[in-house]
Amino acid sequence: MNNAGTILILFFALSFLAGSVVMLFRNKALTRAVTILFAAVHLGFTLYCWYHLDETALGYFTFDRIGVLLMSVLSILTITTVYHGFIYVKNDAPKAYAIYHTALIALVTAMSGAYLANGMTIVWIFVEATTLAVAALIYHDRTALALEATWKYVFVCSVGIALAYIGILFLGFTVGDARLLHLSFASVSEIARLADPLYLKIAFVFVLIGYSTKMGLFPMHTVTVDAHTVAPPPVSAFISTTLMNVGFLAIFRIYALFSATSILPFMNHVLILSGMLSLLVSSGYMLKAKHNKRMLAYSSMENMGIVAIALGIGGIGYYAAILHIVLHSFTKAGLFYQIGQSYKVMGTYQLDESGNYMNLYPAGATALLLGLLCITAIPPSGMFISEILLLKAMVVRGDYFYLIMTAALLCFVMYALLTRVLHIVYSQPRGIKSELHERVNSWQTVSQFILFGIVIFICFVQPAPFRQLLEGIVGGLPK
Amino acid sequence: MNVLLVILFAITLIYLSITERFRIYATLIGLQGVLLFVLAFLELETITLGTLLFVAIETLVFKVIMVPYLLLRIIRKTGIERVHEKALPGFYSILFVSAGLLLSIVISFSMNTTPRNMIHFIVSFFAIYTGLFLIISHKKIFAHLIGFLVIENAVLLLSLAIGSQIPMLINMGILLDIFVSVLILGIFVMRLKQHTHELTMLKDE
Repeated sequence: MNNAGTILILFFALSFLAGSVVMLFRNKALTRAVTILFAAVHLGFTLYCWYHLDETALGYFTFDRIGVLLMSVLSILTITTVYHGFIYVKNDAPKAYAIYHTALIALVTAMSGAYLANGMTIVWIFVEATTLAVAALIYHDRTALALEATWKYVFVCSVGIALAYIGILFLGFTVGDARLLHLSFASVSEIARLADPLYLKIAFVFVLIGYSTKMGLFPMHTVTVDAHTVAPPPVSAFISTTLMNVGFLAIFRIYALFSATSILPFMNHVLILSGMLSLLVSSGYMLKAKHNKRMLAYSSMENMGIVAIALGIGGIGYYAAILHIVLHSFTKAGLFYQIGQSYKVMGTYQLDESGNYMNLYPAGATALLLGLLCITAIPPSGMFISEILLLKAMVVRGDYFYLIMTAALLCFVMYALLTRVLHIVYSQPRGIKSELHERVNSWQTVSQFILFGIVIFICFVQPAPFRQLLEGIVGGLPK
Repeated sequence: MNVLLVILFAITLIYLSITERFRIYATLIGLQGVLLFVLAFLELETITLGTLLFVAIETLVFKVIMVPYLLLRIIRKTGIERVHEKALPGFYSILFVSAGLLLSIVISFSMNTTPRNMIHFIVSFFAIYTGLFLIISHKKIFAHLIGFLVIENAVLLLSLAIGSQIPMLINMGILLDIFVSVLILGIFVMRLKQHTHELTMLKDE
């Protein structure tokens, strides 16, 4: 076993230990200390991965560029989510407090495993583990709505994961021997070139549909929307970003695996179709959204649609897809933290009952406006760069139909988000009197400003190492 | 022998898609478990004690005993005996399921494979179709659960088509999946029954 393997085992062991200590002792102070320590260990492990890029650990994990990039996003968002989680569950009973943090630790660990796994079966096992961990988090508030959302999430994700598994089994048929299934992506890639294209197509479709439950793409998007709506805001921030990235990565890896085969045009068409439908459905629902968190949930679906389209378009679209997924993670997490604070201040998630936020909590309202700017990809948002690159890729390829469709649907999305967020910030609530429910300390909004700051920074400066990293990730894909 | 068992499995699928009594659902799921155990046993080229034990736990313990037991327990606790609100009448169900079988045959025949795999493919595709059909065409969550279990059985049937040398990792994956099914059955359905048999609270207005 090499050093990387030892460190990886150490990381998993420490995660297990942290979760066990939290669950066994059920002491709030100890839980906070252990969770902070866990976040620090995760950050340290991510830094280790950066210094040991492309090393393989235990035969089943590789610290490749895209895995480590998404691990870094996860590390940053773990810190902010842990912080906002402490605030959200501070009044909970010790048992609920412990369950929340144990599930959070388990979720972060499972997502890390899924990012770094170098074989489809390992990815699948970790994705299944994320479903179990996140179920406990969605059900945290123990309400009837939480129960329904959790049931739907676990059920549909399980169906989706079973379908993804069928895709993996077809991968077994393509390589001719099930024993090869645990081999790394690179090994299977060699064999896939010689495989029957029909088997590859079936495998891809099943994997895409299956992992769409995690990525939130049409037609498996409904459960993630429900889960976002009901889960505690810090958890919604996680489900909407890092967990969706898990789904994206699983699909991306299969895409990269098959990109050197004859089914590349087929995969591109399927991805564009799925992305367009996601964009269409999400824009429609955003126009009629009456629940603030549900609106953000559909926004996540819309952004995943953009990522799928960018992947399907190819060329500079690949670069745009990776950039978009990173920037969306920071933006959406910040927005969910902020909408959670707005609930404290206004006492509601209902759009009609929301309003006057600028007067009630100016710092939060400013953060919300900044988040709105970022998510609608209006300059100086970094997401403007990724979206303009996508549109450019369409022009380069001469896909004017997709260009017009995407631009038109993005206009609907922008209109829906602008009217709703501006109503929350400046208008008076409809039918009720605006009043302050709970005061929020301005320091609690700092993390949102930092996250939006990163997104804005990327609009002006894309540091050379960051650019090279993204180019390195998409370098192996067809030009 | 194998072909006969797989065909029998397909017949249970047709029965599942048209029946309305929950007890029959539970019985048929148990029967599918028995068929899968015998199939898995016959597929084993080299029987070691470990492999046999694994297959027995996976099929007999979970699929034949535990899952039907939990299903029957849910029926007893909830008191619901049959599907009252099907989105589709029985006649249309038969039409849809027949179309699904035809589709599975067409897809499988278009694949370049051995005759042995062909029959596995047809019935596995048909099982996936039936599972999804049960989920889509019924309103009660109990029927959704049966649909999920049918898809799980399709996965196992398909994995048997790959060959007997299924790596331990895949076995682990299947076991994890079964664990999730038991979790869904054991925890959530029992809690959900206190609130509703249908899921309609979360929706866009």
